[in-house]
Amino acid sequence: MTSRFSPLVLCALISVPFLAFGQTGGAKLQVEGAWARRAAMMTGGAGGGGSGNGAVYALLINAGKAPDALVGVASDASATAEIHETYRDMDMMMMRPVRKIAIPAGKKVAMKPGGYHIMLLNLKRDLKTGETIGVTLQFEKAGKIPVTATVK
Amino acid sequence: MVRGIAALLLAAFAAGASGADRGSLKAGVFDPPRAAPEFSLRGTDGADFKLSRYRGKVVALGFGYTFCPDVCPTTLAELAQARKKLGADAKDFQVIYVTVDPERDSTARLKTYLSAFDDSFLGATGTPEQLADVRKAYGISIAKKTVEGHPSAYLVHHSSFVYFIDRGGRLRAMLPFGGRSVEDIAHDIRALLKSERKP
Repeated sequence: MTSRFSPLVLCALISVPFLAFGQTGGAKLQVEGAWARRAAMMTGGAGGGGSGNGAVYALLINAGKAPDALVGVASDASATAEIHETYRDMDMMMMRPVRKIAIPAGKKVAMKPGGYHIMLLNLKRDLKTGETIGVTLQFEKAGKIPVTATVK
Repeated sequence: MVRGIAALLLAAFAAGASGADRGSLKAGVFDPPRAAPEFSLRGTDGADFKLSRYRGKVVALGFGYTFCPDVCPTTLAELAQARKKLGADAKDFQVIYVTVDPERDSTARLKTYLSAFDDSFLGATGTPEQLADVRKAYGISIAKKTVEGHPSAYLVHHSSFVYFIDRGGRLRAMLPFGGRSVEDIAHDIRALLKSERKP
């Protein structure tokens, strides 16, 4: 089980240049270790993109004294992006869009495989290992935080 | 009905986990192993696809679809990483991915999707009836759901475990989503590769 988390730990170690802080609204929000899963763009999608989907994961840290929430997402790699959640029902893994992810004061919320993720809809290009994409996370109080996600 | 079979399989795998085979495999084991149900579909290699053609190899059999952004890519990426750890033995390991979304997944689309993970992975599709039969035989449940705010888009929720089939075409283990590390998956594949040289 521990080894499932090792990529995340590794991410945290190498993500210093990508560490992003929210400056506005009094909340100190950090987005750490953003990474995207490799994916094919596919053809024939809407909005000038392909029809392939992708996913971005990151650790959301609220170092402030007030609660905040992730309320919107966008990426330069896809026509649209949404906040989604995968959850388990019996042996089935289900997925649903979520309006927001609450991040209580002083807490961390992990977006990780099989849980919360940023779903990239209609990819504009293939996401290949080692490349990077731009992702902007919109928080209720901290505002917009742009990060760079490495494709793995 | 399908749920019933899945429950039965899960029960078999839970029982197996406490059986004599315990220890040799990290995933839930079938004890005793049973023949993997044969199926005939269309493959991403452009040919008719028969599971029995892969006798002699260890097969990882999964179900999913190309619009799936989280669970399916995670599973496929783990299988790709595990395959890389096999070295020269990788030639005797075959990942087979059967779509649960034949309306949108053509063989060409499946091939492009799978090649993002590993060029050796094979996909298979067929008529909705053929695929329903395969799912029934393997206890795979699906549920088609539209997405809020996207009336034309839909998701296909599906059972997310992966079956491991030995060289003799027998179901040997069942891997739940997120249940094992890449090292454990590679360990199980190696164990199955060694367990019997020929069918």
